Amino acid sequence: MHRKKIHMMGLIGGLVMGGVVLASSASAETGPTAAMLANTCAGCHGTDGISGGPAMPTIAGFPANHVKTLMKEFKDGSRPSTIMGRLAKGYSDEEVALIADFFAKKKWASANSHANSKLATAIDPALATKGKKITADAKCDKCHEDDGKFQDENTPRVAGQWLDYLLFKMQDYKNAALKVPQEKKMEKAMEKLSAEDLTAIAHFYASKK
Amino acid sequence: MSMLKLNRRGFVKLSGAAALVGLSTSAVHRPLFAADKEKEKGRVVVIGGGYGGSVAAKYIRLADPGIDVTLIEQNEHYYSCPLSNWVVAGFRDLEVQKWGYEGLKKHGIKVVHEHATEIDPAAKTVTTKGGTKFKYDRLIVSPGVAFKPVQGYDAEAEEKMPHAWNAGPQTVLLGKQLAAMRDGDPFILVAPPDPFRCPPGPYERASLVAHYLKKNKPKSKVIILDPKDKFSKMPLFQGAWTKLYGFGTDKSLIEWIPGGEGGKVTRVDAKTMTVYTDMAEYKSSCINVIPPQKANAIAELAKLTDDSGWCPINFDTLESKIHKDVHVIGDAAQATGLPKSGYAANSEAKVCAAAVVALLNGQKPGEPSFVNTCYSMLSPTFGISVAGVYKVVEGKIKEVGGGLSPADAPEFIRLQEATYNESWYQSIMADTFS
Repeated sequence: MHRKKIHMMGLIGGLVMGGVVLASSASAETGPTAAMLANTCAGCHGTDGISGGPAMPTIAGFPANHVKTLMKEFKDGSRPSTIMGRLAKGYSDEEVALIADFFAKKKWASANSHANSKLATAIDPALATKGKKITADAKCDKCHEDDGKFQDENTPRVAGQWLDYLLFKMQDYKNAALKVPQEKKMEKAMEKLSAEDLTAIAHFYASKK
Repeated sequence: MSMLKLNRRGFVKLSGAAALVGLSTSAVHRPLFAADKEKEKGRVVVIGGGYGGSVAAKYIRLADPGIDVTLIEQNEHYYSCPLSNWVVAGFRDLEVQKWGYEGLKKHGIKVVHEHATEIDPAAKTVTTKGGTKFKYDRLIVSPGVAFKPVQGYDAEAEEKMPHAWNAGPQTVLLGKQLAAMRDGDPFILVAPPDPFRCPPGPYERASLVAHYLKKNKPKSKVIILDPKDKFSKMPLFQGAWTKLYGFGTDKSLIEWIPGGEGGKVTRVDAKTMTVYTDMAEYKSSCINVIPPQKANAIAELAKLTDDSGWCPINFDTLESKIHKDVHVIGDAAQATGLPKSGYAANSEAKVCAAAVVALLNGQKPGEPSFVNTCYSMLSPTFGISVAGVYKVVEGKIKEVGGGLSPADAPEFIRLQEATYNESWYQSIMADTFS
């Protein structure tokens, strides 16, 4: 509860900031529009940020500040990536803000109801059940509340995300050598989880609508 | 009040009549001229339903459903070139490369399966082989590439020495020839000169064929006859070839003969299955000839091309520098600075769609932003990529960020990129056809 209150405060702060950003971009009067910038992402992340590929994350409806943080980390190299680090270098902070706001306004759609859902690793109900227990034991639900549906600027929605993507990313988070930026408590939880545990967790979150 | 009692059909009829006299049936919520205004938004005709044309048609409708869009594409199905090298190497079915147009129809796009044969830029019409005429306010041409002549390479030779540079039956044919090739014969790949569709494509093909040979025909190797002395992602390709296929050793599964060392092919003979360079001749039961390229026939017929064989365009709107109100996108366009890739075509299509929507609404087109993201496979578990963000700066397309996969990436990164390649394909195809 306490954390959600803070989240609300953050939201208000964000709105005020948004006003400032709007004002500055209006005065500049140059540069591509939000749609022009964001639509270039759709080749990989899907039309309106709803991915059609099992290893690409859906980003529709992600909180704008979350996307801004990720892009900043991709750009400065603190967040490891295959391709996003290279692409992020092509955008100014103002452009990233436009892209982030564009996707924040789009509606989330779960991968398990996508026309391409059959292309992903099939969700195993037994593994999903096992995964639910593991998330409870590892206290994943302290942040990824509501079976992973919750999201805020520090917490991406994981419920209904593509299974293969979830698995890739958790393997990265567990790989200490990669130094993925993450909360200390998440890093500690990851240390204790086995590859099998991560697979079960991926099946659990991917099974949620 | 009486209107409420009308059935749906009656209502539609009445509202149609109201529109004719400039009235609106929901005058409270809409200005009186709304129906007329929508009619005046204009007609767009798109020629070519691939990575460029389909996306342009869809994104115009997404941005402004008031614009009438007709897509003229001669084939009922589209076969994607990206990822078709996997089919050649025998680890993917052509069916996975096949797409239809039902999804685009759901956006209200009129899809016409006819062959566009004539553009009249003065009358602003497109005519098809069947004689149908389509009037446009703005035309988008996304026809892909055609081949320039290679001595000895005619329609009959294409069946014996497939190019497989348009995906479909040619892809399957080359795959079959590779499978039937004698162990010990070389797989001869004749690479094209710049510029051509999919710059890393011939080298990805060489890699995946080498992967196939390693397993199935270990006495064979790939010989690339190249008129060029360098190619796309070259250090990454050669680094991976060294690692995977013994490149640089006398047991290498890939031999690359650059232009400076006799790689330039001067003619081919399909009867004797021989390829001639200015220095030597090569024989095999499996020869892949990828000819030099230019913009496809309709662009040339409509005089949208210049001496280079490609279509000069304005980079802000993709409008032809030759004909007004005609835009050219995709491989046929001379978008100097952007590669001739599927993703670049997708990106050009979106810039073009936004410009067309703005112009038809009497607005100034906005500033463009382009992206290219292109994966290549060195083996089924080894992927590399090139990515770039582009802007128009002082009249030129300039890369403002991007680059290649690192040369020293660990294996798990190569595996991730190989997996992302498949997801890239599924997402971009959904963006194109759904």
